[in-house]
Amino acid sequence: MSFIPGQPVTAVVQRIEIRKLRQGEHLILGFSIGGGIDQDPGQNPFSEDKSDKGIYVTRVTPEGPAEVAGLMMGDKVMQVNGWDMTMVTHDQARKRLTKKNEDVVRLLVTRKSLEQAVKHSMM
Amino acid sequence: MPKQDSNIQKKIDHEIRMRDGACKLLAACSQRDQALEASKSLLTCNIRIMAFMSELQRMKEAQVMQRVALRSADAGPTDDRLPCKGKVAISDLRIPLMWKDTEYFKNKGELHRCAVFCLLQVGAEIHDTDMVIVDRTLTDICFDNTIVFSEASPGFELRVEMYSCCSEEDYSTGSTSRKLASKLSSSLGRSAGKKLRVAMDPGACSPISNGGGATLLLPLPTVVGPKYHLLAHTTLSLSHVQDSFRTHDLSISGNEECSHWVPLYGNVCCRLAAQPHCMTQQMMSGCLKVKFGGDPQSWTNVYGVLKGTNLFCYHRQEDVEANIEPAFTISINKKTRIRASEKDRHNKAQSICISNHYGGEEVTHTLSADSREDTHRWMEAFWQQFYDMSQWKQCCDDLMKIELPSPRKPTLVTSKQGSLYHEMVIDTSDDISTVTDILARRMEELELRSQLGTSPPWMSLFEESPGCPRTHNRLPHSPLRCPRPGLLSSEASLTSDSDSPCSTSPCSRYSGWAEPLSLSSPSSHFRPRTLSLDAKLSTLRGRGYGGVLQCSCQPPSSSSLAPIPAQCVPQATLSCSSSTSSNSSSEGSHSPELSDGTPFSRPSSARQSLRNLRAKLDPRNWLQSQV
Repeated sequence: MSFIPGQPVTAVVQRIEIRKLRQGEHLILGFSIGGGIDQDPGQNPFSEDKSDKGIYVTRVTPEGPAEVAGLMMGDKVMQVNGWDMTMVTHDQARKRLTKKNEDVVRLLVTRKSLEQAVKHSMM
Repeated sequence: MPKQDSNIQKKIDHEIRMRDGACKLLAACSQRDQALEASKSLLTCNIRIMAFMSELQRMKEAQVMQRVALRSADAGPTDDRLPCKGKVAISDLRIPLMWKDTEYFKNKGELHRCAVFCLLQVGAEIHDTDMVIVDRTLTDICFDNTIVFSEASPGFELRVEMYSCCSEEDYSTGSTSRKLASKLSSSLGRSAGKKLRVAMDPGACSPISNGGGATLLLPLPTVVGPKYHLLAHTTLSLSHVQDSFRTHDLSISGNEECSHWVPLYGNVCCRLAAQPHCMTQQMMSGCLKVKFGGDPQSWTNVYGVLKGTNLFCYHRQEDVEANIEPAFTISINKKTRIRASEKDRHNKAQSICISNHYGGEEVTHTLSADSREDTHRWMEAFWQQFYDMSQWKQCCDDLMKIELPSPRKPTLVTSKQGSLYHEMVIDTSDDISTVTDILARRMEELELRSQLGTSPPWMSLFEESPGCPRTHNRLPHSPLRCPRPGLLSSEASLTSDSDSPCSTSPCSRYSGWAEPLSLSSPSSHFRPRTLSLDAKLSTLRGRGYGGVLQCSCQPPSSSSLAPIPAQCVPQATLSCSSSTSSNSSSEGSHSPELSDGTPFSRPSSARQSLRNLRAKLDPRNWLQSQV
């Protein structure tokens, strides 16, 4: 999952469709994100490459919409509803996930286990 | 046009009244700053009066010419097309200075200071900037004002004049009229001053004569006080208009010997933007029938609006006000070709063909109006639009933004550090007790939700930490949600959403293993940082968790927690860095000062949010947000 700035990123991704849950007047997804181009990437416990400033899932609420959809802790979010998440600030990322007029977010996430699974299947 | 005359006359009268007021103020004030301001107003009024007078003169001459032209038989119909007017805005004026080394290091004695301001003139409209005091500690003179001229023609000439006045002058009284005349002439600009000086020879009178009306000979007020002199000037026009900052040359009058000298580098930087009316206003609108390409059957009825570089076609007229998206949009720009087509077999009226190149293809739209007159009017509108675009040139490529200065600028709480982060405006209705109330309520709601699942594996690492009551086993509920947006009533752009309280409020920190105790009793007690907390943090830091300890939260209640550190359970590598801890320890040391004497009083909510904001904006953090 490392990338070279300026080069296209290729990754094995999984599509995850999360339906937001309405709680009162709030729409929640049930996970937490960390990271962003304005954050210190060295403190990211999930990233392999400690200079990766991408958005990672740091926590998934048990039995929340995200967990139900298959999101796992440690996933790196690559896209949300078509919007790129590999080069965004933390706040931009949060905003793209929490748009009030969207009930569903379709994420593209990548994780190490995916890549390994693909590698194994090709061997 | 007598109406315009009377307008100008009214303006002149107004300026004369202002001038009298400024004179009186100048005579009456004792403080140097007031005197400088009053003198500036006086100068501005004088210049405005001169400008209005010349405008009046010009209008009268034009009237006379027109009457002459009408009388003469060979004055043919002048069908000159006039370009539309537009808004011209100049902002962010910055004039770099060039102090000599000797100036910089001449530390003995007082600072040589000058008061400086600029006058900006288009036609008869003159605006002044605020006055800035300049001394050798400044590298640039910055004027923050944005000045907008609303009705400028594309051939406008914006004259920028910089006036300066020495700020330590001894205001000697009792100057002779000649000396006064020469001083005033130099401060009014060369040509105007010359006129004035010539006219003032017979006596100390200002030559204000109303073209045809009564001659007003106002006695020149004996001005005592600081006097401004023209230091530099330049003229900007349409070719200088651009949507970004540009540097222009200044012509400098005066030299080092003058008392009002300020060492200018010779340039002025500013942003000169223009919004022609053809880009911002609807130039033509009406019902049309549009056909795409050559298909004879596909006539669509639309309501067309010509604005800027587009012809917007709406389904109905009501859509325009309702801000509904137009059905489609036809570009009308420099590359568009429009021609009237011959009579169609199907239509009696002429139609208009509009061709554009989109990508590599040529796309043609055919418009037809209900009557010949309408078609003619549309053609006329298109020709006018093309003419305007050719006159306003680069201003019609894209709409330039002009920011009008807001009349009420919020006073920024600026600390001396000068960092941008410290200049954030925090809404004082940000109330931490509201936050805790809501959090407490949420907690109760969440208690009814699903059971707490497996906690993250590193949770166990904290179980051994001393003094941390692990009541985690009795937590029946899932991790706390962070307060949703709208919780904080603050609309400061970065705090209006949910994550800011998340990053620093207790809730997110306690996810999974959290200590909700702090939230269950929403009292308004805050425990400021104490030494034992710092000690705790340093022991945890010593454990090698990358020194990342969360400690910028302000626990809302201290009551149910005996050991302080429990409130700030660090989340190994997932929270604010140690730098935040040093921030907050320094902030912690502030809180006793902030509170009024009692160590447990709550720090003010504004500072609270400011701290939240700082933690959030500190790039050494690795924030997490709940979504």
